This record gives sequence, C-alpha cells and structure tokens, in this order.
Amino acid sequence: MLELKDLYGGYGKITILNGTSFKIPKACITTVIGPNGAGKSTVFKAIFGLLNISSGQILLEGEDVTGLKPKQMISKGVTYVPQGRNVVPQLSVYHNLELGGITAPDQDKVRERIEQVMDQFPMLRQFRDRKAIELSGGQQKQLEVARSLLLDPKLILIDEPSIGLSPNLVQEVFSTLQRLRDQGVTILMVEQNAKAALAMSDYGLVLELGQTRMHDDAQKLLADPRVGHLFLGGHLEEEEEA
Amino acid sequence: MEQFLQVLLSGLATGSIYALAAIGFTLVWQAAQTVNFAQGEFVMVPAFFVLVAMNMGMPFWLAMIIAMLVSVFLLGYLFKRAIVEPMQRQGHGNSLSLIIVTMALAILLKESVKEFYGAEAQPYPALMSSETWNIGGAIISVTDVLHLVISLGVVLLLTLFLDRTRTGRAMQATAQNPGVAEILGVDTNRMILYTFLINAALASLASFLITPVYLAKFSNGEYLGLIAFIAAIVGGFNQIRGALAGGLLIGVLDNMVATYLTAEYRAAIPLLLLIVVILFKPEGLLGTSEGRSV
Repeated sequence: MLELKDLYGGYGKITILNGTSFKIPKACITTVIGPNGAGKSTVFKAIFGLLNISSGQILLEGEDVTGLKPKQMISKGVTYVPQGRNVVPQLSVYHNLELGGITAPDQDKVRERIEQVMDQFPMLRQFRDRKAIELSGGQQKQLEVARSLLLDPKLILIDEPSIGLSPNLVQEVFSTLQRLRDQGVTILMVEQNAKAALAMSDYGLVLELGQTRMHDDAQKLLADPRVGHLFLGGHLEEEEEA
Repeated sequence: MEQFLQVLLSGLATGSIYALAAIGFTLVWQAAQTVNFAQGEFVMVPAFFVLVAMNMGMPFWLAMIIAMLVSVFLLGYLFKRAIVEPMQRQGHGNSLSLIIVTMALAILLKESVKEFYGAEAQPYPALMSSETWNIGGAIISVTDVLHLVISLGVVLLLTLFLDRTRTGRAMQATAQNPGVAEILGVDTNRMILYTFLINAALASLASFLITPVYLAKFSNGEYLGLIAFIAAIVGGFNQIRGALAGGLLIGVLDNMVATYLTAEYRAAIPLLLLIVVILFKPEGLLGTSEGRSV
C-alpha cells in the first residue's frame, strides 16, 4: 500500500529521517512507536508533503508520490490527522466537517458525506451548529477523525490520537479506527501509548533515530522485551551487544 | 437633544469609515500576521489615483473604478507579492522586521505622493450632494447617512461573504489555524492573497468616502493609520466586529469631545481611549483573551 524507500529529510539543516524505509500493507493498522525524537511525526509530515525530502522515495500503491503537496496527497486518497488540537476553533462543527471536503469538485456529494459521517458520529450531529472550540478535547478529536473521513480516504495518517483523551475515549477512537480498517482503510498511526496501540494494531514498527529498527506483527512486538527496554531509554544496539 | 443626534450621527458616519480601514487592518493581521503600519497611506493613496484619472479626462465615477482596481493591484496584490512574501520566505514574516518594512512603505508612499502631486491639499469631489434633511428639528446630513449606509453595508456584505461562502470559511480557517487549513487542502496562500485584496478594496472605499472631508493631502495617512490601528486594538484586534465597534466608538467620541468639550484636544482622544482600554481591558472591548498558538 505505502512504501518508504531510504528516505532522508528534516527541518532546515537538521536531518531527522536517516534512510527511513518500511512497507505497510493494505487494510491494516500499523502503529509506529519509538522514543522521543525518533522521527515518528516527521515521517508523517514527509509522507504528506509537509517536509523537504532530500532523497528517497515514497510509493503509494506503487505510484511515486514523493514531494507531492498536501492537496495532491488528498486527491490520491491520503488524509492526515496531526497531533494536538486541529479544529478551526470559531467555525461550527458542520463547517469544520465541510472543510474536510473542500478540495472535492462535487460539493453536493460532500454534503451527503457529511450526513453519513454524522451518522457514524452521532455526537457531531447533536452539536453540528456549535463552534468547534466549545467541544471537549475528546469531541474535538472525534471531529478531526470524522473530518478526515470525508473524502473516503484509502490511507489515514493519524498522529497521537490518544493525547489528552480519557481512557474510554481512547478506546472509542481506537475502535473507530478498527471499524475503518474493517471497511478496507489503511491506517498508519503514531502512538506514545505504545502498549494500548499495539494491542489494537495489526503491525508495529519501531523507529529510532529516523530509521526502522523493527517491523513485525503487533502482538510479537508487544511480547518482545526489547521493545520495553527501548521505552525505558535503552538503545537497540546496546541490547544486541549485551 | 437635536444637536446631540446630529453629533452622534456624524460621529457614527466618520467612525464607520474608520472602521473600514480598521477591519482591513485586522483581516491582514489575522491572515498573515502582518501589522500593516502603512494602512493609513493605503487610505490616502487611492484618492490621488482618482485625481490622476480625472486629470486624464475620465469622469468621476470611472476614475473611482479605475482607482479602486489600481489600488487593489498595487496595495493588495503587489504589497503581498513584492513585500510581505519575500519577507516571510526569509523567515521575517512574524517579526519586527516586517513591521519596520511597512513603516518604510508608509514613508515611501507619502513622499512619493508629495513628490509627484504636491504638498498642498487638493480639492476632492464629494461622492454626493451636501443636502440636509430636517427631521424633528435635527439637521441630518445626507452625506453622513449615506456614508454610514455604504460602510455598514460593505461590512455586512463582507461578514456574509466570510460566514456564508465556502471561500469565506476557508479564509477563516486559514486565519484561525493555517496548519490545519493546509493539511485539509485549502490553498492558504490564495486565501491570504484574497485578504490582502479585500483590505486594499476597503482602504480604497474609505479613501473615497473620507477624502472629500479632509481634502486630498499626502499626509492624510498619518492620522488615519493611527486611528485604524487604535480602533482595531480597542475593539479586540482579532475580529471584524471588534474593529467595527472600535471605529464607530472613536468616530463618536471624537465628535462628541470636539462639540461639547474642546476641539483643541480632539486628536488626543483616540490615544486616551487606547491607554484606558489597554490598562483596563487589554484584550479589547469585544476581544477574547485566547492565545494564538504558533
């Protein structure tokens, strides 16, 4: 579905991705974990065209999409839900959803999709005319996820969906993602909350210093003691040497 | 009472013109974090375009249309493309440098007008007749009423455009959360350009309405720019209705003070208002104290 080949890139002169390579399969949830500064969010920005890529390739279903702008990535069926709060605060819930389809040529269809998405997230229908800023953090996250579904994406990049959410809301977001996967959507997710995220994922990917260190079944990674060590501050090489 | 109504109305009329400039100022700030200290000159210059066009033999109405188009191009498009964008590309977009550049632009515009057109105040045709209506003893100036109607009408249209059209909402999204607008595929650069064009159009309109009162003079922008800035801050700096309220308030206060207290210190009134608001309600009269995350 999505393949990164030896990707290099970063911010200005600072290189964060040092030859990142991985391949993720269709209709699966793959979770990227790794210590702070490993380049997890940067990978997403690189895929979505928000970062200067100095070398390497990004293939989406075999097609080279390296260096495409966000708008073009959207037209290829990719959406991105960054970390933090990403609603337009003073616009209504409905108009936030509408923005998710702003690039679509057929706006009648967008209106239909908004209705369908609100069926999936009844809370959004209830608050459709309320300003986005007036929603709680969890509701805002749901709005963002709902908004990212508006154009029926093939691939969703979702960064830290659990931040600032209560455990049951996290579960709710996770089960939404699983439901989407079952409908055939591919999901690539970054999560600090590695345990919970791996537990609901199909595959896991460990990123460190901008390189893929491990890539395996999520359940295997979950059982791997090295993964635990990694999050306690150790490095994989040291583990291997020991 | 009759006099009070007259003073109030003409204050509102002038204030609504200030509000046009203040709203443009606010829009550009929101969309591009550009504090445009040349805003007063943006209001001064279009009147001279009208005069130049009329000197070339065009009728007044045509001259105004041409002046509006030229202003939108020069003070909107070119201002963004040739000044703001290069600054932002070099990483000065959010800094003092850009403010200083707009100050330099103000001086450039002012001195250019003085050089090419002269330092004397030029007579400038009024948009409409100076008739008055006598309503229950109050002498109501038709010009005042029309100024108020035109300005408020334009503000209303602008608000409707921003709230009721998809493009308007995409502009709001760009102003409120540019990062998000971009990842949703909004052409943020184009939305910011629209804002600059709208600002130039508002400034031109303000110019056409206010210049018959002040006459066309190269230094008109000094006071107007200050008023627009103060109106925007007093109102809350980050919203249209704030700038509108700020503009109207300054217009009315200015007129009231000049009539009932002293005409000598009228120029100090906006500054006093600014100080009082900053001391007691720093987020502005209608502003909210929400922070802007960068």
